[in-house]
Amino acid sequence: MATVRTPGKTPLPEFLQTEVVKRNLDRAQRGMDVLLDRDPPVVGATPKEIVYSKGTLRLYRYRPMTDEVYRIPVVLVMSLISKPYILDLSPGQSLVEYLLREGFDVFMLDWGVPRPEDSRLGLEYYVLEALPRNVEEVQKVTGEREVSLLGYCMGGLFTLMYNGIIHDAPVANMICAATPVDFDGMGLLRRWSDRRWFDIDRLVDSLGNIPPDLILRSFEMLRPAQRWAEYARLLDNLWNDLYVKNYRLFNRWIYDQIPFPGEAYRQLTKELMWENKLMKGQLAIDGRRVDTKAITCPVLHIMAQHDNIAPFDATQPLSTIVGSEDKEDVILKGGHVSLVAGRNAWFRLWPKLSEWLSVRSV
Amino acid sequence: MPSSNDRPDVGQLWRNWLVDTERQWNAFFNDVMGTDSFGRFLGGYTEIYTMFQRLVAQNMERSLSTLNVPSRSDILELSERLGGVEERLAAIESNLRALADAVGHPSQPAAVTQLRPRRTRRPRNQPAEAN
Repeated sequence: MATVRTPGKTPLPEFLQTEVVKRNLDRAQRGMDVLLDRDPPVVGATPKEIVYSKGTLRLYRYRPMTDEVYRIPVVLVMSLISKPYILDLSPGQSLVEYLLREGFDVFMLDWGVPRPEDSRLGLEYYVLEALPRNVEEVQKVTGEREVSLLGYCMGGLFTLMYNGIIHDAPVANMICAATPVDFDGMGLLRRWSDRRWFDIDRLVDSLGNIPPDLILRSFEMLRPAQRWAEYARLLDNLWNDLYVKNYRLFNRWIYDQIPFPGEAYRQLTKELMWENKLMKGQLAIDGRRVDTKAITCPVLHIMAQHDNIAPFDATQPLSTIVGSEDKEDVILKGGHVSLVAGRNAWFRLWPKLSEWLSVRSV
Repeated sequence: MPSSNDRPDVGQLWRNWLVDTERQWNAFFNDVMGTDSFGRFLGGYTEIYTMFQRLVAQNMERSLSTLNVPSRSDILELSERLGGVEERLAAIESNLRALADAVGHPSQPAAVTQLRPRRTRRPRNQPAEAN
C-alpha cells in the first residue's frame, strides 16, 4: 500500500532557523575565511607619507586629523624584531589613529625589513646615526626643536640608549612600552642564550641576519601550549565576528616576522643578555657610555604583567635607572602585544597616554 | 527539582579546563626547557643548524661558480651597490626639493611634509592662553 505524504510544514526549515544551526553555519563560514585567508583584515591603513628614507629605514608622517595639533610632535620608534603596523593595526583599533584624533602630530620610525647586507649594522648605527638623523628630519618638517619619543619593546631600548648618550638630545618626553632593561629578568630567553652553550659569533658569522623563523620559534617556545589553546578558543568563538577579526589581525602580525640584523643581535646578546651592562651602568656604544641617570626628561613607563617576551622582571626597573624626577609607571594586565593593541590598550592605555602626553606637549 | 540556572554550563566548564590545561602545560614545558641540559641541547641544535647552512652556502657558491652563474654573494654585492645609487638619488631629490622650496616653487604642495597645522592645541583641562 502506497503511503500518502500529508502536505504541511516539514521540520527541516525550522531546524535550520535555530540558533545552534545558525551559529554553526557562521562558524563554518568564518573557519573557511581563516583557513583560506579570505578577505584579510586591512592593517596599517592610516594615511601617511615618507618624510625620510635611507636603505630600508623609513620615517613616516601621518596626516594630521585635527586643524590644531599639540606643539611637540610624537615619534614612534619601532622594535627591530617586528613590523610596525602593530601600532597602526586596523581602523578603529590603531594607536596611531587614536593619537591623531587626540590632536598629536605623529611620526613613525620604521626600520624596515633588513636586507642581507644590513647584517653589519650594529647599535652604533641605530642609536647614534639613524635615530638622531630622524629626529633632525622631524625638527626640519615641523619647525619644532623638541620631540616626544615613544619606543615600543626594543624601540624603547633605543630611545633610552639615545637619551643616555646624547645628553642634550631634543627629547621633551620619553615613553617606553614593554622595554626590557634588566636582562637578568629575561627568563628562558636568557637561559637559552647562555654563553656556555650559545655560540653567538658562529651564528652571526654563518647566517648574517638572524632568520625570522628562528626568532619566531624561540618566542613560541616560551609558551608552547599557547598556539593549540588559541586554535581551540578560535573554534569556540568562530561565530563571533570581532573575535575572529582580532585573531586574524594579531596572528598576522605575530607570524609576519622579519630577520634581525646580525651585528645588532650579537651586541645585544653579549652586552645585555650576558653582561647586563645597561642595568649596571656599564654599557657603551662606540665608546660612549649610556648614562641613564643623565636622562631628566619626563618618562612614562608602560609594562605588562604577563609579558612573556619582555618579562615584567626585566621591564620593571626602568624608571629606577633614569634620573628624571617626573616619571610614572603604568602596569597593565595582559601580554607583550595586547599591551599596545588589545582591549586593555584601547580602554586604559591609550587614554592614559594621551592625557599624560597632552599636558607635556604644549 | 533543580532549576535551569543550576545546570552546569558545559561550554564554560570546557573553557575553564582549557585555560587551566594551557597554564599547566606551559609551566611543565617551561620547567623542562629551563634546565641546563635543555640549554645544551638547544645550543647543539643551533650549532648543527648553522653548520648545515654554512655547508649549503659554500657548496652552492662553488656549484654556481662552476656553472658560470652569479652566486648569492654576487647578487648581494649588486644589491648593495644599487642601494648606494638609490640613496644618492634620494639625496639629490631632497636637495632639489629644498631648492625649489627656497625659490618659491614648492614641488609637492600637498605633501604631508609641507603640512603646517597650527601647533597651538591645549589639553582639555587647560584653556588656551588669552592673547
